[in-house]
Amino acid sequence: MKITIALKGTLRKLFDCYDDIVVEVPDNCTCDEALQAAGINYKETRNFGFVSVNNKRVMIDSRLNDGDYLKAFSRVSGG
Amino acid sequence: MTMLGYQNKVLRINLSDKTSSTEPLRMDFAEKYVGSKGLVIRYMYEDLKPGIDPLGPDNKLYLTTGPLTGTPVACSGKLSIAAKSPATGTMNDCSVGGHVGIRLKYAGYDMAVLEGKLDEPGYVVIDNDEISFHSAEGLWGLGSHAAEKKLVDEYGLEYSVLSIGPAGENLNIMSCINCDYYRQAGRGGIGAVMGSKNVKAILIRGTGGVKVHDIEKTTDRLIEILRNDVVNDDNQFIFDGGTTAFLEACNDGGILPVKNFSDTTDERWTEYNGDVLAKYREGKRGCGSCGLGCGNFLKIGDAICEGPEYETISVAGPNAGNRDPEKIVKFNEVCDDMGLDTISAGDTIIWAMEMTERGDHDFGIRFGEADKMIEYVKLIAKNEGVGADLALGTKKAAEKFGGLDIAMQVKGLEYPQYEPRGSWGMALSYAVSDRGACHMRSYAANAEVFEASIDPYTAEGKGQLVYDLGEFNAIKFSLCICDFWGTIDYAIMAELLTMVTGKEWTEEDMSRVGRNVINIARAFNQREGFNRTHDTVPKRVVRDALSNGPAAGQVMTQEDFESMLDQYYEVLGWNKDGTMPEELIQSLL
Repeated sequence: MKITIALKGTLRKLFDCYDDIVVEVPDNCTCDEALQAAGINYKETRNFGFVSVNNKRVMIDSRLNDGDYLKAFSRVSGG
Repeated sequence: MTMLGYQNKVLRINLSDKTSSTEPLRMDFAEKYVGSKGLVIRYMYEDLKPGIDPLGPDNKLYLTTGPLTGTPVACSGKLSIAAKSPATGTMNDCSVGGHVGIRLKYAGYDMAVLEGKLDEPGYVVIDNDEISFHSAEGLWGLGSHAAEKKLVDEYGLEYSVLSIGPAGENLNIMSCINCDYYRQAGRGGIGAVMGSKNVKAILIRGTGGVKVHDIEKTTDRLIEILRNDVVNDDNQFIFDGGTTAFLEACNDGGILPVKNFSDTTDERWTEYNGDVLAKYREGKRGCGSCGLGCGNFLKIGDAICEGPEYETISVAGPNAGNRDPEKIVKFNEVCDDMGLDTISAGDTIIWAMEMTERGDHDFGIRFGEADKMIEYVKLIAKNEGVGADLALGTKKAAEKFGGLDIAMQVKGLEYPQYEPRGSWGMALSYAVSDRGACHMRSYAANAEVFEASIDPYTAEGKGQLVYDLGEFNAIKFSLCICDFWGTIDYAIMAELLTMVTGKEWTEEDMSRVGRNVINIARAFNQREGFNRTHDTVPKRVVRDALSNGPAAGQVMTQEDFESMLDQYYEVLGWNKDGTMPEELIQSLL
């Protein structure tokens, strides 16, 4: 299945990925698996925050559907 | 004992008889509370008699630095401005950026205290060791920006200016103090305390310096810390867009409030997000000693401001049913100039919008009426027409007109812009914050949403979480370190303090001081009559489920909330009724 991945905040710089990317991933895969498949080894950085699917926060082990829009956010702090 | 980093001097300015004096800093207080936030709360506990009128001459206005202020330590240039709050009756300390903190320190003072009241409107000049008093003729009644420009034109850029707008002059309980044009000590009606003393402005110039323990080692190590821990990828977002980065994270995280917190998430958030605002950016600015530079100057049409910060985008945007970025910037600009806190003034107007929509009371404004919202800011500041009713703030206005269930406030201080049904820890954080609903005391949304390290929709573990984050911020702000240095930890704090003061500080000391600060603030409030019955949550939060976003359908009950309170009190060793054991209070003094 195909999904779209967008990185947010400083994850863009860390993974040199500034634009949305469309990737082919195994059916029923998780957000974690999709990011890894796209070469985004988010576990390597302490800057990773959370993921959302179709603009709604989900857990990293949530499963994806064809056409989903997966966003990975960097951490923010302060208020 | 004497520690370096401090000037060891407190300036007391008696406004009533236009005199000033100095006294040594209480180093026993500094040992327990370090500086800035903690130090000033301890001084207020000592100085302010219980039950005084916050707008009477017995209240005092404190400007307080920390031992790192004025040194090359990055992000240490802030100033605490504090007093008993006319909005809540609690203690209230506000942190403001710019250059004023450093100038006060360079003038030779750790703290300046304004006492009494001028017999007529005036302003005060602190020029090193010369203190002078001047008439505010030609200044009183001006907006904060115009007043500051006039004073800077006369005195020059070597002076920092703290000023109030018409709202502070009119003793509005949502009024702020402006600094260096676009920075604000925003919350709890701190501007009204200055106005109650007939002080339109305070100018500060300092030409001295600060002695540190080991300048060579300190300088080398600070450069290392600056390169590795401040100006790094983790903190880069704050330079890139400031807090506008929070908008998308809050929206997707399910904590962006919509229409007076009646729901969350806005499907059209891209119309006013950081990318849109960045197109109108005209310049950047940071505070003195800053390594991050969060300030963004924007100009859209004839609207200009430094910001808008996330809080203002939210309250004048989706929470008001508005998506026009120009209107958001204009709201920010007018609030600053009138001298009103954008959070409290905004929350009060959106409460009035919902009251009108619900048919409870017609305040003549509905969601989406952004131009009218901006006009209402002026009416509130001037205490005119419907503005006189809304100048009461949400709590007192709701007590008069009804609608307490949708008045988003705790202890009379309005909610910041993080919907607690999507981050339950924030409900507790707002409830137990020392000055009413404040997000700066314990930022639970960080762990619950932005780091996804703990389930946001449960009461379990939230007492410890809110305490831990609160302890951390209590020492961080007592060191006068900016909130945006997000990667600082206890080890770095202790190292910085040791290098500057020459006294050995440990990570355990940082934890101890943080706990002391939370406790002394609570002790102050307890003496004013506050207890568990004041640590509340707005009815709407524990009654209505959200219908949008990832938190849709989640219900936090009153029992869940009470459970979080129980946990929090237990962590701190407080009584079930939210009071502190007498021996704990005595240990703080």
